[in-house]
Amino acid sequence: MMTEATQQTEIPKECELLIEEIFNRCVENAPNFGVSLENYKDSLRKTIRKFINSSNREVSAAELTDFLNQIHADDLLLAIGCANGNERAWWEFDQNHRKFLERGARHLANTDADARDVVDTVYIELYGTRVVDGERVSKFSTYSGRGSIRGWLRTVIWHSLVDLHRAAHEEISLDEMTETMGEGQFQAFIAEEPPDTEIALDEKITVERYRPAVVSSIEKAFSTLEAHEKLLLLYYHAESLKLREIARLIENPASPMRGWFQRKSASREKNPETRVHESTIMRWLEKSYSKVLQTFLAELRGEHKLRENEVAICLELIKDEIANRSIFQSLKPT
Amino acid sequence: MENTLKLNSEELQIQGLLDSYLKRRTAGGSSTAAGSHLDEDTLSAFVEGSLSERETLPVVNHLVDCSFCRHVTTELIRFDLAFADVPVEIAETEKQPAKISEILSGFVARLFGGNESAVFAHQEQEKPEDAEAEKTEDQPEPKE
Repeated sequence: MMTEATQQTEIPKECELLIEEIFNRCVENAPNFGVSLENYKDSLRKTIRKFINSSNREVSAAELTDFLNQIHADDLLLAIGCANGNERAWWEFDQNHRKFLERGARHLANTDADARDVVDTVYIELYGTRVVDGERVSKFSTYSGRGSIRGWLRTVIWHSLVDLHRAAHEEISLDEMTETMGEGQFQAFIAEEPPDTEIALDEKITVERYRPAVVSSIEKAFSTLEAHEKLLLLYYHAESLKLREIARLIENPASPMRGWFQRKSASREKNPETRVHESTIMRWLEKSYSKVLQTFLAELRGEHKLRENEVAICLELIKDEIANRSIFQSLKPT
Repeated sequence: MENTLKLNSEELQIQGLLDSYLKRRTAGGSSTAAGSHLDEDTLSAFVEGSLSERETLPVVNHLVDCSFCRHVTTELIRFDLAFADVPVEIAETEKQPAKISEILSGFVARLFGGNESAVFAHQEQEKPEDAEAEKTEDQPEPKE
């Protein structure tokens, strides 16, 4: 929902002119979608305001021009036409995207019946059955053109499937529900209980003594990483994304995530279009581990004032942790 | 976790520790970060790498803290990759575009037990001149 501040953000005049240019180009390709310039401008104004308000940093005219030129303008025109209930736009949408929707639903759903239900629901939702102030609210009106319409449809299908499961199992939370979905199921982590072995008393005392230092040092080390490095580690470890799947996420040469990782790399300047290979992701992971290790050791030595022999004990504890996951048993999920 | 990384023994230990820490940090956790979840438009644009740096930073910060949205992006990445090499399919072209009600009728029948008026009852009333135009021009003009 737009805040008052968002609604009041002024759109520069140059943007208005560029929107007109973009609109005219789109209408040449699809003259029968019944979308007016004002209609199109309204949609883009909302998107521009969201863009401007996504950061406190002042936005330059060049940034706004780039932003508008990256909009999937034809997809947006189609979506607005469909939101307005234009017959021609709906026909185009149905011709071009129905098979994609059906295939996507079949891929995600556990059964054909579920897949059919999802496609049915998505179509009805796209058309819109809710009426607010006498006007039908179409799901299409939430599409901004920032990504492709197919990417957006994938997300709509996914959410629709989650809703379908929730309706069937109301008592189950969204998080739990996501674990029950078809291929690419979420990797719910169930921490293994430490093996029921008899641990010598002195060993127990050692563990109890150094465990807090190990836990707080790894927490600190992770927290000092930059956000994109944290996300990389979370995708790899907590979400179990494979290297090639992470590479896919940053395949787009213009991806800011890719830019942040490659900022200090000369290779990017030489060839910014280079494909990101799994080996590149591996290198980024290695760099992140190295940073975590440095901070982890610095914390043990500095913050916890441990001597080298104690640091060595902590590293031994880590081996134990890897073997039986005992250190974090009391750690609360965030 | 793929064990193909070139790590020294200490880095391997820290990798294992991080693995346990991040899994435990996420396990069974409430998915709610501060504020609401990301909308579908933002999620899909992020997965496609279409967002600018200005827009991506708050999204990445949110994904670090919100396991639910992160799960969604994870699934969308897998979903996207699963179709990466599949050619784009387009339905067989019909000579005359169908009306919305025709496109939706099958869906409506299944969802509402055949009563499509439940969906179309609220449609705006046709203006008299529109109704007149409908008589002579039953279908929209094909795309040029």
